[in-house]
Amino acid sequence: MAYKYPSEKIFVEALKSKFAGLDLADQKVKYVRAGYLQNARKREFQAAGERVAEQRGMKQYDVNVHLGGMTLGQRQLVPYKLSTRPDIVEGDDLHYVNNPAMQQMWDDMKRTIIVGMDLAHETLEKRLGKEVTPESIAGYMEAVNHTMPGAAIVQEHMVETHPGLVDDCYVKMFTGDDELADEIDSQYVININDLFDKEGQNEKLKAAIGKTTWQAVHIPTIVVRCCDGGNTSRWSAMQIGMSFIAAYNMCAGEAAVADLAFAAKHAAAVQMAEMLPARRARSPNEPGGLSFGYCADMVQTLRVKPEDPVWYTLEVVACGTMLYDQIWLGSYMSGGVGFTQYATAAYTNDVLDDFTYYGYDYALNKYGPDGTAPNDLATATDLATEVTLNGMECYEDYPTLLEDHFGGSQRAGILAAASACTTGIATGNAQVALSAWYMSMYVHKEGWGRLGFFGYDLQDQCGATNVCSYQGDEGCCLELRGANYPNYAMNVGHQGEYAGFTGAAHAGAHDAYCCNPLVKVCFADPSLVFDFSYIRKEYAKGAMRTFRPAGERSLVIPAGV
Amino acid sequence: MAYTPQYYPGSSHVAVNRRKHMSGDVEKLRTVSDDDLVAALGHRAPGSDYPSTHPPLAEMGEPDCPVRQMVEPTPGAAAGDRVRYSQFTDSMYSAPSIPYFRSYYAAINFRGVDPGTLSGRQIVEARERDMEAQCKASIESEMTCPALAGLRGCTVHGHSLRLAEDGMMFDMLQRTHLEGGNVIEDKDQVGVPIDRKVNLGKPMSEAEAKKRTTIYRTDGVKYRSEEEVLDHVHLVHHRRTMYGYRPETAAETAPGVGPVTYHTV
Repeated sequence: MAYKYPSEKIFVEALKSKFAGLDLADQKVKYVRAGYLQNARKREFQAAGERVAEQRGMKQYDVNVHLGGMTLGQRQLVPYKLSTRPDIVEGDDLHYVNNPAMQQMWDDMKRTIIVGMDLAHETLEKRLGKEVTPESIAGYMEAVNHTMPGAAIVQEHMVETHPGLVDDCYVKMFTGDDELADEIDSQYVININDLFDKEGQNEKLKAAIGKTTWQAVHIPTIVVRCCDGGNTSRWSAMQIGMSFIAAYNMCAGEAAVADLAFAAKHAAAVQMAEMLPARRARSPNEPGGLSFGYCADMVQTLRVKPEDPVWYTLEVVACGTMLYDQIWLGSYMSGGVGFTQYATAAYTNDVLDDFTYYGYDYALNKYGPDGTAPNDLATATDLATEVTLNGMECYEDYPTLLEDHFGGSQRAGILAAASACTTGIATGNAQVALSAWYMSMYVHKEGWGRLGFFGYDLQDQCGATNVCSYQGDEGCCLELRGANYPNYAMNVGHQGEYAGFTGAAHAGAHDAYCCNPLVKVCFADPSLVFDFSYIRKEYAKGAMRTFRPAGERSLVIPAGV
Repeated sequence: MAYTPQYYPGSSHVAVNRRKHMSGDVEKLRTVSDDDLVAALGHRAPGSDYPSTHPPLAEMGEPDCPVRQMVEPTPGAAAGDRVRYSQFTDSMYSAPSIPYFRSYYAAINFRGVDPGTLSGRQIVEARERDMEAQCKASIESEMTCPALAGLRGCTVHGHSLRLAEDGMMFDMLQRTHLEGGNVIEDKDQVGVPIDRKVNLGKPMSEAEAKKRTTIYRTDGVKYRSEEEVLDHVHLVHHRRTMYGYRPETAAETAPGVGPVTYHTV
């Protein structure tokens, strides 16, 4: 990609919006100490808290409670701009509880499972002597799309789910076999040729998938809101089994049904996230088991904007930071609200964008096209040092920027992410990018004599030792590392970025996917509620209260509640 | 304790100041009385006895233990003091000290201390009287400008925020303020009002802060220009990486990294 970093810093416009009328470079400011009244959302919260207290007869939210009555808002409460977007939102609107788009993104991951069809077809053909044809597959798809949301099939007089409550649930299929895909009713097919029509990505994906046949199952959002992610495979497998019985006129009790169930639950099932060990005790399809490679594959921006690897990379960062920091570490692992602040730094105000595009420009000029820089420590050292020094200088030259990223952990995550994303795109190698991450942490820490919170003294100081080592329990290629990788399991401000530069490496290499072609194709489906091509745009819609999620209960509760 | 001098690369006055902090070779600039310090810390009433968690060691009949025979107890440990803390926030606008060098100063020059280092604060936990001695040395020395640094136990944020118009680091809880040209502290570390005005002295001028600072900044000593420190960082990265991959090569000089000389004060 021909790219030239602009003459004005990319984040300046966002800072102008946030700190309207102020000199962005001034190191001093008059603190008005206007309290919470300066912020519309805090005023809304205060009023809502008072209503709650009145209705239930017990106090709730009160912004004046802080530290014996000193109200929050002693400094300027500034809004946030979603990176690449014109939308200005309040920080509170980026907490996942307040943002239905964020919730839906995770819902769409959690409720998804990919199930191979070939084992079932072999069972039907070889064991039962039944014929599997494009027509019979279409018949099965019709049955499974009836029953997957929770409808009865085969048995009569069964209770069912209200179709309006589960309208987001469906099953589609995909294959690398063009001939077969063409013969299936198009409403049930994820069309690889159409969706991946740039840079030959469709051919690469079809070559990887081959003539195998897969179904992308998305169970109802409302189900995963009541049950854990482990339920996805079970709910899916039950309906798949019943649909095979119906579509192929099987005996409901014959032994072959067990084979179909085993295939759907285990042998042919691709979970989105692995089960965690007992000490963290989470089922499959929970965020702690989601590998960085899968996370990067779920994000689709590389499919629609392959000419801009930085954009794709930062959409992955936005996806990963929200999921891993805000939901996984912020809620599952620790509880609380503070983790949102770490994540927003990575996808708001165009800061990470600025630092990464700066690095991208530097790398293009120095090493040439994407993916061609040498895969060695010298490249990581050079790129991470330059990108980190540039970012530190930006924080020093723009005190409003430093104030915006008021915590060292935010700055450390952003500087290291920019370094690693730059390096990933330049080299096409996620492991070299990981090395750049650690280099950035060292450069940052030594220059300012501070880094992040204690965790940055743990994984960021010892992690370099496991970049090249692949010994068991020490190292692993970044694509297969995940939120529960040793030393990554407790530290906010890292995991989403790791996913981001996993993606960066494959964007730099002009790959069609990072880790699993099935995951890449599954999340390209335009029928999903959340659009995985434009993560930050969707977050903005959620923050602006224009995103319509699935799984709502308004059909079955009193109006006006 | 005879750990001086300490070694650190770089030739700028920022690098020199870093070596001085590590070595405890810092100039005393002001005096804070014991009672004022105790009031500002907020752990006990000035003049009161130290609360203890166990009897003095001499009265406890300690077991026959070679480690206990080798290690002389600190005064606080000998007396049975409880463990308390002091915590500083240092502005990024050329405050004299920075969190890691506060920690190095504490760990190298004082016994029985447990420093913790974050981006916006630096804590030292120790037996109460040992902590007070370490804190008093810090707050009276050139490591601390009372306008650009402060004792903050909670609600610490301010290190990265723009300074107030009068040059004071932002503090949501307003534990300190300027009065007659001096910085006055009238709340303790956690923001509880105290019954006295602790005079922490005059703020450093901008020029003096930049002269005494340990932070690299574009409006001071540019980090980019301190090549020897950057080479040191690159060497650390190379060695930590190679120790996990090919340990036998880790001691080799990293490709492209210049010679690093570790200077003394």
